[in-house]
Amino acid sequence: MKFTIQRETLLKPLQQVVGVVERRQTLPILGNVLLNTTKKSLKLTATDLEVELQAHATVTITETGDITLPARKLLDICRTLPEAADIDISIKNERAQIRSGKSRFTLATMPADEFPVVEKIKSGRKLAVAQNDLRALIDRTAFSMAQQDVRYYLNGLMLEADNGTLRGVATDGHRLALCEFSLDTGDTTEQQVIVPRKGVQELHRLLEDDDAEVQVEIGSNHIRITTSALRFTSKLIDGRFPDYHRVIPKGADKSLVINREMLRQALTRTSILSNEKYRGIRLDISKNNLKIQAHNPEQEEAVEEIEVAFEHEPLLIGFNVTYLLDVLGAIQSPEVEVLLSDANSSALIHAPGMNECRYVVMPMRL
Amino acid sequence: MPSASHCFSPDDPEGTGHCPVVWPRAIILVDMNAFFASIEQRDRPEWRGRPLAITNGRQGTCIITCSYEARAYGIKTGMRLKKARALCPELIQCPARPERYAATSAAIMEGLQDVTPDIEVFSVDEAFLDVTHCQRLLGTPLRMARLAKRKVFEASGVLCSAGVSGDKTTAKFAAKLHKPDGLTVIPPWEAAARLREVPVTELCGIAEGIGGFLAQHGVRTCGEVRHLPISVLARRFGNPGRRIWYMCQGRDPEKLQCEVPAPKSIGHGKVVPPATRDRELLLTYLLHMSEKVGTRLRRHGLQAATFFIGLRTAGGWVGGKLRCALPADDGREIMALCRRVMDEIWTGQGVHQVQVTALDPVPGGNQLELFDVLDEEQREVNAVMDEINRRYGEFALAPARLLGRSSMPNVIAPAWKPYGHRQTI
Repeated sequence: MKFTIQRETLLKPLQQVVGVVERRQTLPILGNVLLNTTKKSLKLTATDLEVELQAHATVTITETGDITLPARKLLDICRTLPEAADIDISIKNERAQIRSGKSRFTLATMPADEFPVVEKIKSGRKLAVAQNDLRALIDRTAFSMAQQDVRYYLNGLMLEADNGTLRGVATDGHRLALCEFSLDTGDTTEQQVIVPRKGVQELHRLLEDDDAEVQVEIGSNHIRITTSALRFTSKLIDGRFPDYHRVIPKGADKSLVINREMLRQALTRTSILSNEKYRGIRLDISKNNLKIQAHNPEQEEAVEEIEVAFEHEPLLIGFNVTYLLDVLGAIQSPEVEVLLSDANSSALIHAPGMNECRYVVMPMRL
Repeated sequence: MPSASHCFSPDDPEGTGHCPVVWPRAIILVDMNAFFASIEQRDRPEWRGRPLAITNGRQGTCIITCSYEARAYGIKTGMRLKKARALCPELIQCPARPERYAATSAAIMEGLQDVTPDIEVFSVDEAFLDVTHCQRLLGTPLRMARLAKRKVFEASGVLCSAGVSGDKTTAKFAAKLHKPDGLTVIPPWEAAARLREVPVTELCGIAEGIGGFLAQHGVRTCGEVRHLPISVLARRFGNPGRRIWYMCQGRDPEKLQCEVPAPKSIGHGKVVPPATRDRELLLTYLLHMSEKVGTRLRRHGLQAATFFIGLRTAGGWVGGKLRCALPADDGREIMALCRRVMDEIWTGQGVHQVQVTALDPVPGGNQLELFDVLDEEQREVNAVMDEINRRYGEFALAPARLLGRSSMPNVIAPAWKPYGHRQTI
């Protein structure tokens, strides 16, 4: 294998795939990046056996071949070479020669056929969605995923295609985020998969904020998303996601409407004096008035009052302030509506009049 | 210090008069003398004045503590009974009665509340009293130390030694100068001079580790520490290192820890018959420990998600840290983890000891769950069981399997406290 490539042409795809390479691997080859070449292109692949990333670069290849190289070392060399430098890469006697100007590096290689690649996805179902829709879906839900929960099926994002809708649901057992958008497809089969946490985070990093179309392929064990420059493949979590319909409150009818930014700022200030570990705050809601209170074990106290639209019996309810702030960060509208029933029942939060994104937060006992 | 000697001047040797000098800080350490043995001698007049050793039940062979009469023979805490008998054939062996000691300790701590509310229960038989703010009300620190000694005796009939100074370390050092029934006052302005020639390792909290480090720097006595830059200690030991520098000059800045800090773990273990391979017997022991841990978590409103379940074998601990789905305080849920250890990790080795520990317990039940997996009925059953057992004694109501539990008596831990999560035996 032999080719010459400009630094920037190699750096971008390399940076995109290296994110998935673990710093300490169990299998040495997982620290390497796979290089496949055809006459006109270079394909880079990295994997941690759960998430696989593949990126392309267009470059003239003098002599084709396949090889794997130490991913981080290659990236660091590439990164530290001067801008617009030309890089010559060639393989000789199982060693890679990298030359650029007066710099010369020799890297160890491992054979390409030992690199684990997911080629075909079993029983794939294909959907076409806009890149920014998918990105927004992750943006608005991923924060509610559990982290290292024993209930392993919560450590990911549930994606559901259902009656012409693509829906994402994430929950850690205390709060839940749901976001959906409609698909331009006649396919109405129901399908539900769980994408692991790391895959969701990598995918979010790679998706760009434009409406270019991406292909989503959902198989029984994998999900694959292909953009013009990238191919993302993730294993799926083999488990049953809890019945989220059941926990979206139906009877919450006490509506509280409030300016989102005002509430966010008041909560941020109040949270300074909430218990650092449990993050509890109390909301004292009365006619058109919301009082937010927090105190910590040192008996320091924060109180905020905000004017709100609320026309029901007074209500006193406690929440983990982090859960509320996360929701307010995910909602875009200038106002939010909080639907409550009583101090022990969940609250439903959404943008007034919009149901695409819904958030459920369980209260804390006061 | 011009007025220093005034409190203890020949005109007022008792220090009973109103002290013109208010100490900037005044700390008393009360240390019960041979506590467990003193309680036994109080309860059994025929044992008074005789050598007495406390052991864990009749089976125990290790001396937990002994009376001053026994100490005169050279018998010490931790000594094997056999060796002690060789030193003193007429030694009386007395099985420990932890409930009795705990009750006496609680009564003493209660009595000390009459002196000051600022009390740190340092161990089952030691307490620090911060009397800084009581000086105008109750008189000199010396007078308050006498009051404390009297309160201890009234509450328990047991004698104690007291040390009085301006900081915790010097007060503790003072208390051990005169035992038993001693009372030593080191006014704060004399503390540095009194500690000057004392080896650093005599102070509470400085053992071989720190002592060795100081020795490497040519420091053996408290007085020499002052010549060592404080940064040397800070670099090696951080803030505790800085504290040592002040401690050695009689200026220990440490405040009293009046509240029992949240526990880092709550656990119970028990020694089982040597090399037990009987699965059913081990399960009974594990259930016993699981129920104890569960009861104790519930009593303090705590829950834990991670538990250490261990079986000690000749080859070390078998088991490990296991997690349950949600933080738990129910013995049955803990027992489910124990069963996993028995089924998946234990391979039939002989077991010497079992241990069940709740790791990082947190105040539970505040955050409500979206997916209610908690069995509401089990929670009510536990509440009723706890109430019955509080009135009729531990395990008055318990899973049937525990009818066959070990009868080895409970042991009182040195870290026992009369309130909070450590109030257990």
